[in-house]
Amino acid sequence: MLQRIVFLLILSSLASCASDDASDYTEVIDLNERLYAGGETTTFSVTSNAYRTPAPNLSAADLSIHLMGDVDFESVFVTSPSTINQGLGPVFNNSSCISCHIRDGRAGFPTDINARSGLLLRTSLFGTDENGGPLPVPGFGLQVQNQAIFGYSPEANYGVNFSEITEVLADGTVVILKKPQFSLVNAYAAMPSGMLLSPRIGPPVFGLGLLEAMQEADILALQDITDANGDGISGKANYVWDPELGQTVIGRFGWKANTGTIRQQCAAAYVEDMGITNLLFQNETGHDQSNGQDGLTDDPELTHEILDQIVLYCRTLAVPAPRNIDNLQVREGAVIFDQLECAKCHMPRQQTGYSPISAISNQVFYPYTDMLLHDMGEGLADNRPDFLASGREWKTRPLWGIGLTQLVNGHTDFLHDGRARNLTEAILWHGGEGENAKNKFKALTKAKRDALLAFLNSL
Amino acid sequence: MKTGIFSLSLLALASTAIISCSDNEETTNVDTNAQLFSEVLTDLTTDVITSTYNELNTKAMALETAVNTLEASPNATNLAAVKAAWSATRAPWEQSEGFLYGPVDSGGIDPSMDTWPVNVSAMNAILNSNTAITPALIAENPEARGFHLIEFLVWGEDGNKTADELTARELEYLQAAAADLQNNTQILYDGWKVSGGNFGANFINAGNGSNLYPSQKAALQEIIEGLITIADEVGNGKIEGPLNSEGGTPDASLEESRFSNNSKTDFANNIRSIQNIYMGDFNGTSASGLTDIISGSNPTLDAQVKEKITAAISAIENIPGTFSDAIHNNRAAVGNAQAKVAELHTLLQGTVKAYVAGL
Repeated sequence: MLQRIVFLLILSSLASCASDDASDYTEVIDLNERLYAGGETTTFSVTSNAYRTPAPNLSAADLSIHLMGDVDFESVFVTSPSTINQGLGPVFNNSSCISCHIRDGRAGFPTDINARSGLLLRTSLFGTDENGGPLPVPGFGLQVQNQAIFGYSPEANYGVNFSEITEVLADGTVVILKKPQFSLVNAYAAMPSGMLLSPRIGPPVFGLGLLEAMQEADILALQDITDANGDGISGKANYVWDPELGQTVIGRFGWKANTGTIRQQCAAAYVEDMGITNLLFQNETGHDQSNGQDGLTDDPELTHEILDQIVLYCRTLAVPAPRNIDNLQVREGAVIFDQLECAKCHMPRQQTGYSPISAISNQVFYPYTDMLLHDMGEGLADNRPDFLASGREWKTRPLWGIGLTQLVNGHTDFLHDGRARNLTEAILWHGGEGENAKNKFKALTKAKRDALLAFLNSL
Repeated sequence: MKTGIFSLSLLALASTAIISCSDNEETTNVDTNAQLFSEVLTDLTTDVITSTYNELNTKAMALETAVNTLEASPNATNLAAVKAAWSATRAPWEQSEGFLYGPVDSGGIDPSMDTWPVNVSAMNAILNSNTAITPALIAENPEARGFHLIEFLVWGEDGNKTADELTARELEYLQAAAADLQNNTQILYDGWKVSGGNFGANFINAGNGSNLYPSQKAALQEIIEGLITIADEVGNGKIEGPLNSEGGTPDASLEESRFSNNSKTDFANNIRSIQNIYMGDFNGTSASGLTDIISGSNPTLDAQVKEKITAAISAIENIPGTFSDAIHNNRAAVGNAQAKVAELHTLLQGTVKAYVAGL
């Protein structure tokens, strides 16, 4: 508590000194109330560890589980049999959690599309399964594993080609966007026709517990499915099948909000991304394929304890606080963020309800997401429906911590497949419900664009 | 949500305007420590971090040469030379683990060089296949590469392998693995050196155009957190894991360099990594380090840090026999080393970090 007071005092004092020069400014947003981006789970780290510190308010018992989960998150799996960390594959995308969520952060666009990376391709056939989800592809399932243990064939290699799209801003600045087109090559078996592909890149994992503890009613209250207010924005919640609960739940995680809980997300990542069977998924991802069964009876390969630890870990990472919130350019950028109506989807403030983890219970926090699906236009469309998400819809990404991406991860590749090489490109990719905001961005002067970017980089 | 800045400043005035504004006027743009911080950041980047990676790369080249010699003439002398070259390469690597940020992390170099555990099943499958073993093949099987795979092949699972026991396929694998390791040490060194990726510029120019660190103190926090991270890792991971697996049972299979019995040296070198950064020393070059920031204003803390570093290194080195044996038969000595590392960790985390932030 003392620490918080001191910090606030420092910040407010800085702002006060700047105020003399700034009294001419008509209106700027008071960002002080957003300082605690993760409520009491906020960290003030400004180093490359900013995404991977435990929430400072964890109970001793939760912290102890969190630290075990931290080790699990970095554990590298190897081919069975092994005395340690066995069970990798037979087909997989990568061999540890950390290898796709580097420093608990964001994966960059791979330099070699078939080397281990944080990018993977989901697949499905047109139509839905019995629970309303995407229809698995016979022989490939819902995810194409492009790696395999020695002696086994990966399901396929990935291919990628780029096309260029030129955007011209009002002041004449030209930005060339690169649009990746993914394909499958050297598949281990004949590919059925009509395979839909959707690229996904590993996103940061901090703050997830807060998003999970938001009350469903609060999310639903933000929906405007028919665009009744006529603002061109029609957020919609996804509803997805949770196999462990055996029921449909609101979707919160994944690029299309196609997963309801962190537990489901982690368990699915173990089996689909790494080939590690677990309590929720007891069969290898390719168990009914010629390349997918390891022939061992060691399932589940992951202990229940490790699954519990990893889930708590992903629920309780601290959220980095914004920086430079007293800076006038940043505060001007916050106003522009509102004026462009970015905040209509990247909604700054949210709150949690009760959580059995006391650290994330009843917190006010600032993720900059409405947790809803939005049509993002043809440019971003993957044309692969996922439960209620259409082929053009994506979940609003949280923006918290985004300004630390270069520091933590050494790149600024954004969006679901990492195609945007910086924030400007990411904004220019917005279409559909984000088209108006993008056009207003393009019309800005350079000074105002810079202010908006300064604000985003302060998050 | 929106307020005029005027009301904000009122709010601020109500709290601490007096202190802060006088402070602000005095320090307009000049931090009295700026020159010292600049010296320390420059020296640590150049004379410690980049030099460590240069040394690592040089030793990795020597290891590759030694392995090629062993492949040409697999005899006891050449095997001993490979073992010595492996240990010599291992030392600067462990001494680099106090700064696991930058290219080693964003470039995925750490998992490529130091992946653990060894994927023995994959290695055996590759050895038993007809596939040519090349650095490219190894790069496709990233859990079957790096320091510990080389260690496994050279020493054997029980640490007593002889030159006669090395098969042609194992020698082929060793050559590829040593070449692959050196590829990665090269990437690492190139990533830091001025004529390469020049990652160190982020530190040298901190607060003055650095892409990553808006202030020198932010860069210093990064450096100090690196020390805290490795102290934590040694005490609560590398020692605790094998000493107290499953709630108190010793388990040598969880030990880092158990085939070569190099674990104690590894741990001591990890603490030397802290020492190098703190003192600004590496390989006989004595430059500015964190000590130069702390000693002037707080000689007591400075002496404490130095004492805790030395105590941790001694306690690790004084564990009798091998680490594998000691976790069973000299648990008190291992526990003592762990305690000394924990004291260092606590001092860095609890005092040093905040002290430097407050300078």
